[in-house]
Amino acid sequence: MKKIIQQLSAISAGLLMVWVVSGCASQSSAQPPAAAAKPAETKVAAKPKQGVRSPSMLANTCAGCHGTNGASAGDIMPIIGGMEQEYLVEVLLEYKSGERDSTIMGRIAKGYSENELKAIASFIADQPWVSSPIKTDKKLVAMGKKIHDKQCKTCHEDGGRVQEDDTPRLAGQWPDFTLQYLHDCHAKGRRCSPRKMGMRVMKLSDQELKAMAHYYASEK
Amino acid sequence: MTQFTRRNFVKAAGACAALGTLASVSPQVIGKGHKGRVIVIGGGYGGTIAAKYIKMADPDIDVTLIEQNPKYVSCPLSNEVLSGERNIESITFDYAKLSGNRGINVVTDRVMEIDAAKHTVKGAGGTSYAYDKLVVSPGVDFRYEQIEGYSEAVAQKIPHAWKAGPQTALLRKQLMAMKDGGVCYIAAPPNPFRCPPGPYERAAQIAMYLKHHKPKSKVIILDAKDKFSKQGLFMQGYKKFYDGMVEWVPGAEGGIIEAVDPATNTLIGEVDEYQGGVLNVIPAQKAGKIAQLAGLADDSGWCPVNQKTFESSIHKDIFVIGDACIAGKMPKSGYAANSQGKVCAAAIVALLNGQEPGEPSYVNTCYSIIAEKWGISVAAVYQLVDGQIVGVKGAGGLSPMDAKPATRAIEAQYARSWFKNITSDMFT
Ligand SMILES: Cc1cc2nc3c(=O)[nH]c(=O)nc-3n(C[C@H](O)[C@H](O)[C@H](O)COP(=O)(O)OP(=O)(O)OC[C@H]3O[C@@H](n4cnc5c(N)ncnc54)[C@H](O)[C@@H]3O)c2cc1C
Ligand code: HEC
Ligand code: HEC
Repeated sequence: MKKIIQQLSAISAGLLMVWVVSGCASQSSAQPPAAAAKPAETKVAAKPKQGVRSPSMLANTCAGCHGTNGASAGDIMPIIGGMEQEYLVEVLLEYKSGERDSTIMGRIAKGYSENELKAIASFIADQPWVSSPIKTDKKLVAMGKKIHDKQCKTCHEDGGRVQEDDTPRLAGQWPDFTLQYLHDCHAKGRRCSPRKMGMRVMKLSDQELKAMAHYYASEK
Repeated sequence: MTQFTRRNFVKAAGACAALGTLASVSPQVIGKGHKGRVIVIGGGYGGTIAAKYIKMADPDIDVTLIEQNPKYVSCPLSNEVLSGERNIESITFDYAKLSGNRGINVVTDRVMEIDAAKHTVKGAGGTSYAYDKLVVSPGVDFRYEQIEGYSEAVAQKIPHAWKAGPQTALLRKQLMAMKDGGVCYIAAPPNPFRCPPGPYERAAQIAMYLKHHKPKSKVIILDAKDKFSKQGLFMQGYKKFYDGMVEWVPGAEGGIIEAVDPATNTLIGEVDEYQGGVLNVIPAQKAGKIAQLAGLADDSGWCPVNQKTFESSIHKDIFVIGDACIAGKMPKSGYAANSQGKVCAAAIVALLNGQEPGEPSYVNTCYSIIAEKWGISVAAVYQLVDGQIVGVKGAGGLSPMDAKPATRAIEAQYARSWFKNITSDMFT
């Protein structure tokens, strides 16, 4: 039931973005994206000002790579729909500034203003998280769970389901993406942020990294 | 996290209505019911997206997608079929989920005629369909006449393989039948054409097949142009993986092909003649046939549009997207067609709700796979400036020339994953 409501709300959110944001949201370009969720508190202008682009208009451009509403169809493009808004804002701003390494997100994020990235983050955060349907390897999952319980759980609670402002959801992510991230973190070692994670991940073997990816993918 | 609950949806919509911002939308429009009929011609990279995103934004709009084929075979990743890296089934899709899950009325028919004044289109069987807004995304048509002796019939022997499907299978079959030591010639078209990096990715994929199975063979690109997309990255990749196997002949050095002789399997250039084991001739292009018939194209052969909404500059209430339209600085690619489909969908939803279309935003990315673990990309983010689509300065660009092999390997993985996601955006 919860799923159905979430889906309904996702659909209406899409609709709402078109109407509310382009039709009713405040036109101050400093207006944070939260305006979409709280239009009653914002001043209302009749028409969108030239140059202000609605959150759905902006965020739909990401779907060609990340899937409709950020629900990636695999295999290595990350699921982003339903991630915490604050985390998304931080990541997107770091891609834009070049602070965060990437193959392509840096080139993409530079195409949007800071306010636009915030609007995009708010739209994507409002979408339901749709876990990867991939079948996982039982043995690897068991191996991963053991490591998780000892070394990762404090920051990635409830099987990686809990998200904080600075910690993304791991549960249900495509294992190829998690593995790619962990390989990167493994290579960086102490330079992987947060350092505590880097120091633990750098000690894991290839097989153990794979186990972590399978474990998180099994936690839908 | 802030979920959009139905409660605050109602609250938000109520707040707007109360303040009169939806005043231009008549009451029956806000309630359930019929807001208008949209017909989309062409179920490819542009058309599927326009149809789906209109329905997602406003389920009260009737959407009919008219596509001539029951299944769609994707051009993107079809070069991997040529190398044998994947089969044709993996790039073939149907429309079941668009009709079943998205409420789009999918019709298999070929549109023969558009009556812009009466707002109707006519199918091959004589069925007439009425629309309030029409989206046309027919892809490209070939200018066979620019290469003497070439035609649709000759293409059954000398394939273009620039529309995926039987043409792809034919070229693959010819490559498999070619003797070791043979040459595959690819005649690359003049600008503008569908998928600027496509011929060069194809050369790499064919070379990959030859390297594994017929190592004494060669691929020679005979180009109508003197430079091409991602040239430095392609040349670097050719040298690294297919040194001596891939050759590029620019237009100025005899690459322009003026005629073909199917009887002797020969390409006739300005200077030289080329006789090969396998010939792949990609002719110059123009907007798809139905766009030409409907008078939507100008002298250039492509369709001028309002680049904010994609409404035709020639016929009101008809929107042209994808390869067929003139979209400022955007290339003719699947990602561009996807992005244009969304901008066009939002504009149509706004118009049918009595609103002004909002400010647009567009993206393009083209991945190319040079070797199994060697991917490169070009990306751009676009905005509308003075009615023209232009790239945002400082954004986009190419994969770096000096990237590590590990990065190229990941980009190849991302390329295949991009394909999964863009096709799921289209067909689910
Ligand atoms: C070899 C190759 C590789 C490519 N690789 C990439 C890539 O990696 N990335 C990328 O972004 N792009 C790539 N492209 C480009 C991409 O294929 C096109 O840009 C894209 O398909 C354009 O979308 P469209 O909607 O305009 O046309 P299409 O996708 O061709 O769709 C047109 C549809 O309309 C139908 N149609 C036409 N006329 C009618 C009619 N009268 N009635 C009913 N139906 C009709 C057709 O059957 C077809 O299904 C590649 C192209 C080629 C040839
Ligand atoms: C051309 C494909 C492409 C497009 C378009 C694209 N992304 Fe990405 N995205 C990627 C890739 C690939 C990665 C992995 C990082 C990298 O190598 O660039 C990624 C990573 C991310 C991440 C980090 C996920 C995590 O769990 O760490 C976020 C967030 C993200 N993208 C958001 C977006 C948003 C928002 C947009 C639209 C404005 C967008 N992306 C457009 C390909 C794309
Ligand atoms: C000290 C807290 C902490 C510990 C311990 C920790 N992590 Fe993390 N993890 C984080 C934070 C914070 C991030 C976000 C980093 C960023 O901004 O990229 C993160 C990100 C990740 C990501 C990337 C997710 C994504 O979508 O981008 C993975 C995968 C991950 N952690 C796995 C692990 C594993 C496996 C362990 C145990 C070996 C572990 N973490 C231990 C805090 C921690």
